[in-house]
Amino acid sequence: MTAVLRTSGLVRRYDSGTGEPTGVLGVDLEVPRGVVYGLVGPNGAGKTTLLSLVSGLRRPDAGTVELSVDRRRVAVVTDVPEFEPWLTAAEVVALAAHLVGADDSPAAVAAALDQVGLGEAGSRRVGGFSRGMSQRLALAAAFAGDPELLVLDEPSSALDPAGRTAVLDMVLAWGRRATVVLSSHVLSDVQRVADVVGVIHRGTLRYQGPLAELLVRHVRPQWTLHVRDSAEALTAALRRQPWVEQVVAGDGVVHVRGTDLEAGERGLVRVAAATGARVVSLGPEEADLESAFLALTGGPE
Amino acid sequence: MTLWRLEWLRLWRSYRLLALVVVFLLFGFAGPLLAAYLADLLESAAAADGFQVVVPDPVPADGIAQYVSNAGQIGLLVLVVVAAMALATDAHAGQAAFYRTRVPSAARRLLPRVVATTAAAVAAWTLGTVAAVYETWLLIGPLDAGAVVGGWALWIAYLAFAVAAVALAGAVVRSVAAAAGLGLGFMLLMPVLGLVPALDGRLPSALVGAPEELARGTAQLSDYAVPVAVTVAAIVALLAASVRFGDRREL
Repeated sequence: MTAVLRTSGLVRRYDSGTGEPTGVLGVDLEVPRGVVYGLVGPNGAGKTTLLSLVSGLRRPDAGTVELSVDRRRVAVVTDVPEFEPWLTAAEVVALAAHLVGADDSPAAVAAALDQVGLGEAGSRRVGGFSRGMSQRLALAAAFAGDPELLVLDEPSSALDPAGRTAVLDMVLAWGRRATVVLSSHVLSDVQRVADVVGVIHRGTLRYQGPLAELLVRHVRPQWTLHVRDSAEALTAALRRQPWVEQVVAGDGVVHVRGTDLEAGERGLVRVAAATGARVVSLGPEEADLESAFLALTGGPE
Repeated sequence: MTLWRLEWLRLWRSYRLLALVVVFLLFGFAGPLLAAYLADLLESAAAADGFQVVVPDPVPADGIAQYVSNAGQIGLLVLVVVAAMALATDAHAGQAAFYRTRVPSAARRLLPRVVATTAAAVAAWTLGTVAAVYETWLLIGPLDAGAVVGGWALWIAYLAFAVAAVALAGAVVRSVAAAAGLGLGFMLLMPVLGLVPALDGRLPSALVGAPEELARGTAQLSDYAVPVAVTVAAIVALLAASVRFGDRREL
């Protein structure tokens, strides 16, 4: 798979006043074509700095940024989009399209506004727009340029749950036709839309690759068993297994946390059968990005 | 929607053009009125206090002088603020990112803003001048047409210089207030520098009094060749520096 965006040894340092280096400290980012790439990390990890370097809004102290698409086909949406308050929404989109040489006809502008649910607000001046509407307008302005690479910095931050869902739906929809790089500290948002993730922590990339692989490699597998009778024998047998890290039982439910996904999937049924437990159901607990993130970064800050 | 149309909308919808026109028109009408009746006002005020003040009768040049005096102070202040609102391009990071990611060249981003602001200033100055000349003719007497046109043209160079100064200020500092303050400070520095004998009459500030001096006949158009050349060179240098700073500055 070819990379749309690749950075090599990207460095941008800031003096935080604490003596510890901060910023982006040697990042080799590789964004494959046609994916939704989620850049995750806590506040201050270097996400916005990294995206600013990628967008050309800042210059690196060292390293390179390589784009395999024309700069005019890269659309950037910042975390707090702002527009001239005396322009209408349609004028903002027409301006955005014109500046990158895209179709700025009224029909194209209306289509872009419709796409983000602002079709009815095209003639309204943006000075009175809410934060959520501004975020949608920024996406419409980006979509109007028909970008091959869409860079979104915290697109769902500070939005209410409905607004967040709407924005993430738009990201998912756009991800089917172009490459999207999206940063967020809301891990569940990234887990919902991303195919590939980069975990950035204290300016360095701790993991980069498919989301599914991250979850398998860095999240302790967990299962839940529902049993009909007493689970004492089953619990005792499970605790003796080398691949079991923790067993919590009560009220006919047994939670098992393992150390090895494959061993667990093979061993659970065998152990349950050996103890004669009446198993009603057995299933994996969903692995989440937050657990993987904490495993990678050594816990919450 | 081009960047040129955007600048027209900025001037029109944010009432900046209106503000400039109103201020210059106001002084255009008020200046000659004050010049025409200043003597009467002073004499009646002095008579009320038991004094006698002898004020020479107004001449047409007084009308234009009064207008230029006000335009050169309050008018310039309003122009600097209006220019700073357009030329402090990084005052709002979100807006700056919108333009920078779509138009990487600072020159391309800056040119429409500078030209539109200068054009608005020239339009306001022209309307104010027409008003001042008309009212001077009505109340005091006719002005020499050549002198009026010469003074009007020299002031256009001065207004363009003021806009260019604010453009550089906007490229050096970020906020509108800081850009306006720096730009105004730069403009105020000119007459101070003009006190240096070697620079006297050679700086852009020498153009401020040109409409009055030409109207009174105390100077010829050719006397302003050096300050005009310096002003044009300064405009080019200021704009070049603005583009350079704009290209180098990060968000």
